[in-house]
Amino acid sequence: MSRNLAERKFNRNWKGILLFLLPAFVLYGLFFIYPIFTVIFTSLTDWSNFRTMHFAGFKNYSNLFKNPTFLKAIRNNFIWAFVLAFVQVPIAMTMALVLARKPKGWKLFRTVYFLPTVISGSALAMMWKAVYNPTNGVLNAILGIFSANNGTNWLGDMNTALVAVIVQQVFYFGYFMVIIFASRLGIDDTMYEAAMIDGANVWQQEIHVTLPMLKPVLITAITLAMAYGFRHFESTYLLTGGGPNHVTETMGTFLYTKLSSAKWAEGNSIGTTIILLGGIMISVIRSVLSREK
Amino acid sequence: MKKLTIAFLMLALVLSFTFAQGSSESSNKEVELKFVTWWTGTDTKGPYVEQIVKDFNEAHAGKIHVTLEGTNDADGIFTQIMTQLGAGNPPDIFSVKPQAEFYGYYDSNLLMDFAADLKGEWGGQFAEGIVASTTINGETKSLPYEMAYVPIWYNMDILNAVGITKAPETMDEFWAMCEKVTKAGYYATAQMTGGTNAWFSMLWYTSICGSIGGAGAFDNIKNDWATNPVYVQAAEILCKMVREYTTPDVIGATAPVANSHFKGGETAAYLNGPWWIANLDDARQATTEFAFFPTINYKDVLIGSVQSNLAAANTKDPAKRAAVIEFLKYFTTAQNAQLVSNAGSVLAVKYEPLANSSKLAKDLQARINEASGFIAYWENCIGTSDVVAEFGQALAAMIQGALTPQQFVAQIANVM
Repeated sequence: MSRNLAERKFNRNWKGILLFLLPAFVLYGLFFIYPIFTVIFTSLTDWSNFRTMHFAGFKNYSNLFKNPTFLKAIRNNFIWAFVLAFVQVPIAMTMALVLARKPKGWKLFRTVYFLPTVISGSALAMMWKAVYNPTNGVLNAILGIFSANNGTNWLGDMNTALVAVIVQQVFYFGYFMVIIFASRLGIDDTMYEAAMIDGANVWQQEIHVTLPMLKPVLITAITLAMAYGFRHFESTYLLTGGGPNHVTETMGTFLYTKLSSAKWAEGNSIGTTIILLGGIMISVIRSVLSREK
Repeated sequence: MKKLTIAFLMLALVLSFTFAQGSSESSNKEVELKFVTWWTGTDTKGPYVEQIVKDFNEAHAGKIHVTLEGTNDADGIFTQIMTQLGAGNPPDIFSVKPQAEFYGYYDSNLLMDFAADLKGEWGGQFAEGIVASTTINGETKSLPYEMAYVPIWYNMDILNAVGITKAPETMDEFWAMCEKVTKAGYYATAQMTGGTNAWFSMLWYTSICGSIGGAGAFDNIKNDWATNPVYVQAAEILCKMVREYTTPDVIGATAPVANSHFKGGETAAYLNGPWWIANLDDARQATTEFAFFPTINYKDVLIGSVQSNLAAANTKDPAKRAAVIEFLKYFTTAQNAQLVSNAGSVLAVKYEPLANSSKLAKDLQARINEASGFIAYWENCIGTSDVVAEFGQALAAMIQGALTPQQFVAQIANVM
């Protein structure tokens, strides 16, 4: 449609168009724009409990960035974001590509890998607590077979807790796998036939046909994974509560602690930081990945 | 003038008739109150609370009717109450845990203030000095109800097995007990650093502070936390206790984990309130004894703290307010307190212990009677829940050698 035609159509129907857009715009404004501006505004105050709020400038932010626990939380969120984007997504992609070749039992594996996505996070956390238990845990029992059980408290030891929490999350790649798998099935088989005629083996087909074709969905998956990494909360809160001594703390768990203490302004300054840092990081990554060769 | 007087009198007559009718309507109208609590259903206090509400409704038929609502999920009810308070719409009457999050609402106008009502006969129903624990800046916006006197529980089966016949009374005896028990393959104490407040270890810490600094150890805690040597000394003792004499899963362990170690007969000493008695079978109850924390500087200091409060929504309706007060006065009579004590609870209201009380209930009452003073939980004195949460974090670091006792105190001070 040419631009002139579109303009003419808009000029003729603008009232109707606006009327149809209005409900979505109102809801978006009410439940997204308004809360975000409230969070940003109140983060510049001293609001806590039911006390009257006063403007405090950037005091909450300067305190926040002097707080060693918060700095640990930022570092951990970056680790989460990069591990999910560049470890979990590649695992998901690899599994999707293997399953797309439809080996024996591929439907079963597809279901098995996706299943944890629909299981409650609390139930999974309880399971992993049992796996990591220092005295009765499955992990130490397996290590015991190889005489390597040192009775490590995987979630309690300051040296292992962060790795333990992240590793269990990496296993849940089913969500990204399904997205990539669906996109992979959308690639026309004739492209692979053409590649085969040109003498490309399976590996070369995946590198030179599949990956370029999957690039948009991979960028989306990486963006989603990074967004999840920056707002990560659930499994850390359930498994370690951010401990021991904050080594697994994330901005999300730190924010929760502050809001639980009715320190609304401090909590909202953390929320604003999550939005800003996450937004900047994701924009940078997207722009790097989207760059054409 | 005469006409004016007659007109005025007629107007007065009409107005008084109208108001009289109105007041008669309002006095005739039954006041409906909702009482949201976890003391329902299969909760140990459930049947007794239901009985009290039923009796009250029968005695006030046509005037006040109280409807009991809730489930026996105390945490769920707490979350519900906090959500309702956050939305500015608390239930008419409710039971609530005395956490900092709740006390934060004392600043609001959402809670009914009972201070004036308690100055009369009603205040006398409560044990001496207890109402002060829920009074802030002269406002009593919740009533203390269930008390948590927390003695140390000893598994005498384990102690007897290692040749100890009575609970340790000094720290030397305590450490000797820990050594013997550990050598025999048991764990001396049940501890935890997980959860929102590292409950058991926080209780041990409170006991140690009480024994070093007396019942008033926390009187000025918000101001002297970073400077008072009592807190560092207590941290040293707790660190040794957790590092050397507890279960290997202590870091990150939550209350059910620590509970299971004592219930399973793995640990010799444990700290919890009387509400947990029912979790032990008769045989274990028979071989469990209550004791004070060993004396360091002060003898027989017991942790005594409000475990659950009763509160009500503030209202401008005088009839509703009167109905709420009427119900709460009835709920907190000695007779009804005695009834609820059947559930093993110890209450803030004065009452005679039941003749048929269990051995442990009588044992606890004896400790309460002997106590030289009461010290509230550390978590109730130190401040907001982020400060409380820091206890478990810093304790985990101290156990692993990442912090000294001084640094443990300093790390918590940084959050205050």
